[in-house]
This record gives sequence, C-alpha cells and structure tokens, in this order.
Amino acid sequence: MSAIAPERAGVTTQAIEGSQPVRLAPNYWPFVVPALVVVGAVIVFPWAFTLWMSVNSWTLGQSRSFAGMENYLRLASDPRFWESLWHTLTYTFLSVVAPMFFGTVAALIFDARFPLRGLLRGLFVMPMMATPVAVALVWTMMFHPQLGVLNYLLSLVGIPAQEWIFNPNTVIPSLVAVETWQWTPLVMLIVLGGLASVPREPFESAEIDGANAWQQFRYLTLPMIAPFLMIAVIIRTIDALKSFDIIYAMTQGGPGTASETINIYLYNTAFSYYDMGYGSAMAVVFFIVIVALSFILLMLRQRSQWIDAEGK
Amino acid sequence: MASVTINNVQKAFGNAKIIHDVSVDIADGEFVILVGPSGCGKSTLLRMIAGLETISAGKIAIGEHTVNNLRARDRNIAMVFQNYALYPHMTVADNMGFALRIKKADPADTASRVKRAASILGLEKLLDRYPRQLSGGQRQRVAMGRAIVRDPQVFLFDEPLSNLDAKLRVQMRGEIKALHQRLGTTTIYVTHDQIEAMTMADKIVVLHDGLVEQIGAPLDLYDRPANLFVAGFIGSPAMNFIHGHVEEGIFRSAGGLTLPLPEGIQPAEAAGRELVYGIRPEHIRATGQGLSGTVTLMEATGSEIFATVDCGGEVISCLFRERLALKQGEAVRIEIDRASAHLFDARTGQRI
Repeated sequence: MSAIAPERAGVTTQAIEGSQPVRLAPNYWPFVVPALVVVGAVIVFPWAFTLWMSVNSWTLGQSRSFAGMENYLRLASDPRFWESLWHTLTYTFLSVVAPMFFGTVAALIFDARFPLRGLLRGLFVMPMMATPVAVALVWTMMFHPQLGVLNYLLSLVGIPAQEWIFNPNTVIPSLVAVETWQWTPLVMLIVLGGLASVPREPFESAEIDGANAWQQFRYLTLPMIAPFLMIAVIIRTIDALKSFDIIYAMTQGGPGTASETINIYLYNTAFSYYDMGYGSAMAVVFFIVIVALSFILLMLRQRSQWIDAEGK
Repeated sequence: MASVTINNVQKAFGNAKIIHDVSVDIADGEFVILVGPSGCGKSTLLRMIAGLETISAGKIAIGEHTVNNLRARDRNIAMVFQNYALYPHMTVADNMGFALRIKKADPADTASRVKRAASILGLEKLLDRYPRQLSGGQRQRVAMGRAIVRDPQVFLFDEPLSNLDAKLRVQMRGEIKALHQRLGTTTIYVTHDQIEAMTMADKIVVLHDGLVEQIGAPLDLYDRPANLFVAGFIGSPAMNFIHGHVEEGIFRSAGGLTLPLPEGIQPAEAAGRELVYGIRPEHIRATGQGLSGTVTLMEATGSEIFATVDCGGEVISCLFRERLALKQGEAVRIEIDRASAHLFDARTGQRI
C-alpha cells in the first residue's frame, strides 16, 4: 500500500517499500553555504587576517614573526599616528558641520515655492553625481596658486592670493571645501525629505500663538526635522571618516604630512612601506574609533526620535 | 474680550469667488456659530478672522481695531483646529504654555496659568504626556487648553468635534458650552452639524455658497426660516417640501393633494405663484383625521417614531412622539399643524 506523505518545505520524505516513510532532517545547507562563503571570504577572513597581522611583525617580501602587542605600543608612541588621528577628526568634524549647515539652509530655500525651483534643485544636486577623483582634479586646478580660478576671483575683490592646498595651514579647510561642495546636496535631499513630512497645521497654530518666523523654525521646524538631521549627520560622519579618494588625489596627505589622515597614513604604511603588521594595527585602532563614534551617534539618534500625533 | 464686526467681506481665490459680501455683527461675549454645508465658505471666513487667509474686500474688526492688515499673531485670538494641530514633539504642558513661552512670559506665571487651564479641562494628570499618548477627546481638550491659557479676545473653533465619535461629541459640546459660560469670551464656532449649531449657539449664521442665508437665534431659525435653504438645513429630520399653488383659498400640490394654508397667510398674497409648502415632520400628528395615506417606512427609536407616508404621490416624513401601532403598508390619516407650517415662493425661495 502506498502511503501519501504530506510534504513539508525542506523535509525530504522517502517512501520505502513496505515500511513507514523515513523523514530526513531538513536540509537547508545548500541555500546557506554560498552566502556564508561570501561573507566569510570578504568580511570575516579579512578581519581575522588583519587582527592576526596586527600582532605580527611583517614587511612584505621579508619573513614574518610574532610580535605580540609591539605594533600597538609603537602606535601609542608614534607622533605621526596621533597627528593623523587629529587630522582625521578635524577633517571629519568640518566635513560634517559645513555640509549640514549649507544643506539645511539649501533645503529650507528649496522647500519654498519659487519659479524654476525644479530646475535649480536638479542643478544643485549635480556635484553629488560627479566622480570624486574627477572632482579632485578639477579642484586641484582651481586651487592652483598662479593659474587657479579661485585666486583670480579673490583678486577681483582685492584679496591677496592664497596657497590653498599647498599651505599646511589651509590644506585641511581647502579639502573640506571640496568635500562640502560635493556632499551638501546629499544633506539637502535628506532634510528636504524631512521638511516635506512635517505637518502643516502646527505652523498655523503657532502663527496664531504669536510665533514669528524664527521662533517657528526654532521651536517647530528644527525639532520636527531633528531625526532627519541626525540621519544626515550619521551618513556624513561615516563618509567623512572613510574619506580617502579626494585627499589622496589632491594632496597624498601633503604638504609634508599636513593633510595626512589615518586612512592615508595607513595606506602609506601598508602599501608604500609594505609594513603590513603596523598598518594592520592602525586599521584595528581606527576601526575601534569608528565603532565608538557610530555608537554615540546612534544613541543620539534614538533621542532625537519623535512620533507624530497619530503615533506614526 | 471684544466684539467682532464683519463688514461686506469678500474672498476670491483667483477668479473663484468663495465669499460674496458677508456682514455679521458679533457682540462682546457672544457665542456665534457659522453653519452651512461643505464648501459654503464658513471655514474660509473663520480663517480670515484668524488672519490665516487674506481678505479680498471688506473689513473685519476685532473690538475697535480693523485687523485686515494685522498678522494672525498680532490679533490676540486663539483658535482650535479640526485636527487639533498640537505640537507633536511637546508635552501637554509645553503645548499649552507655548504662546506664553515665546512671549518670554514669567515661567512661574506660565506654569500657574497652564495649571489653571488644565484643572478647568480635567487635564492635570496628563500634563507630562505627549499628544501621541492621548485619546482624541483628550487632544481636543489640550487644543482648548492652549486657547484658554492665552486669555484671548476671541476664541475661534474650526469644526473642533468632527473627528470625535458621536458620544464624545455630545459630551464635548456640553463642555465647550459650559466653558463659554464660565469664561464669557467671544466665541466664533464653525460647524456643518446643525445639531451642534442649535444646541450651542447664542446666534447662528447660516452660510450657503458664500452668502449669508439668515442670521438669528437658534429657535428663530427653526420657527421662522427666512427661506427654503434655511428651512431645509435647520431641523432633523428635514422639513417636508411640497410643490404646488394656491387655488380657491387652499394649497393644491402638483400631485393633487390639498392642504390647509398655514396660519396667518391670506390666500390673496399667495395666489398666482409657484409655491412650496413646508412642514416639519414633528408638526404632523396621526389623529385619525386629515390626509389619508399609506405608511411606506417605519422606524421606531423608542422615544419617537419616524415614518414616511405616501399621500397620493407625495411622500411626507412624519415624527410621532406617541407610540403608534403602525405597520408598513397600512393606511393612516395624518393631520398637519397649520400654526407650524410655512409657505415659500418657489422661484425666490423666500418665505411668505
């Protein structure tokens, strides 16, 4: 007598002549393994390998030896590392604050209705779509002390020529200007989305309550778009911390080491001096810095949450 | 507190004229309700008083001052919106104290005024909550509290109860009325619900298509509607309208039904024109005399019976207060109370 076994997803049943059907354990592995292999190969292995390298002394082309915490101790007393960490934090702070400010102002402007708004919005977003290296090359030309258009423009209003990225004192602000030019539109888009989701009625109510335009912005608009601002800050912080392409293409960390961020120093250590162990230790420390910062930002984001009157 | 004068006010959006020449005088401390169907311009008129819409022509004055060119924030009015328009990110206390806070009022004074308003409205225990944590009725109270704390010259209400369920609406109706009696502040209230208008107002302004149809006390409007629109709009169930003309001293409907003329109407003044005979369902009684007809619908609610009676082609709605053993399809005789009947000119709509 043939039994018809109810089939279940993932359960293989084999009807054996004259006996009860044998149920085999669900076999999902074939579906999971490819993902595991990919994750293992591109995330877990590099991580584990980096950690392993960071406790070894290993210069490419030479023999490797276990070094324990030596690389980390070396980091702690390496002024160039501390300097690059400081550069990274300064660069990140400025590249978050400036686009946030200009992006929010731009969003407030583009939120209002005026002729050709759609076209201007489209133009405004263009820098975001450009390739960073191309952007870097164009700005390098614009920053050129003799031939650059920026000094020409300054000369028109009687300001003496600047050295921009060729002066250790102005190199970081100049790089931040490029970063700001390229990423203000992203902040603008995020904040514009926030403004679009803000309910209209409380503003009428505030108008009647006697709030002027600034008070309406300060007490209503700002708190209501705070979650969106927070998201923009998180995205900008992560992007600015990772920033490599623009800096590398424009200054390679120079003049001297004046714009050398951890990313650049790490790259130079690992791929110019081939000091893999030391470079890996740097990567590990930088990773911890990023995780800590992200954690703080996520906590802040939780606090900036509000839910509208309908509970949505 | 202040009176409000609306003088020949008009409002147009481009070519579309929303309000044609409206004039209303509102006395100090009066509770006035603007009522009318959707799109009649009542909310627009209220928003013009508030300063949220510009005035195309005419003049609005609050107290002695013409406010046409005054911004909303300078008019010293408070408004309660249909959707409450609470500040979602502020607690109840902050919502209520917002107007004082931005005026840099003394925080202690603000707190005590918020507390007093909260105690009037029974919100003391909710002061630390956010709007999202409140029910519809509580949010409505917070919106009212926000208005009370301001101690404004005029309260404006824009359909404040339409988002509440029926039971709560009845309760809040009573609370708003009690609040007005307690504070005595001039109040302008917009609604499309004529029951709200009848139960709460000192004076009702009936608006239709941007025109004032009638201004008067609730019972005046009920007893002496100026025209067909007001007659049909005020009262529920709605007044019966029967088209016809006067012939030999009696009203004869298009379908041949004959009705006695309303009291006080001379046949001469009604003769020779197209007429509409108006009688409210509650002014018809089943006495065993009068018009004979057939019951086509019977709805008993316990306190009253609503029935429609087909009298030779004219279907007449009736509201009987007494318990009658009526059945659908049964023959019935109904008698019209002549003292409460009305006659309207069919062409102009005006009452004769």
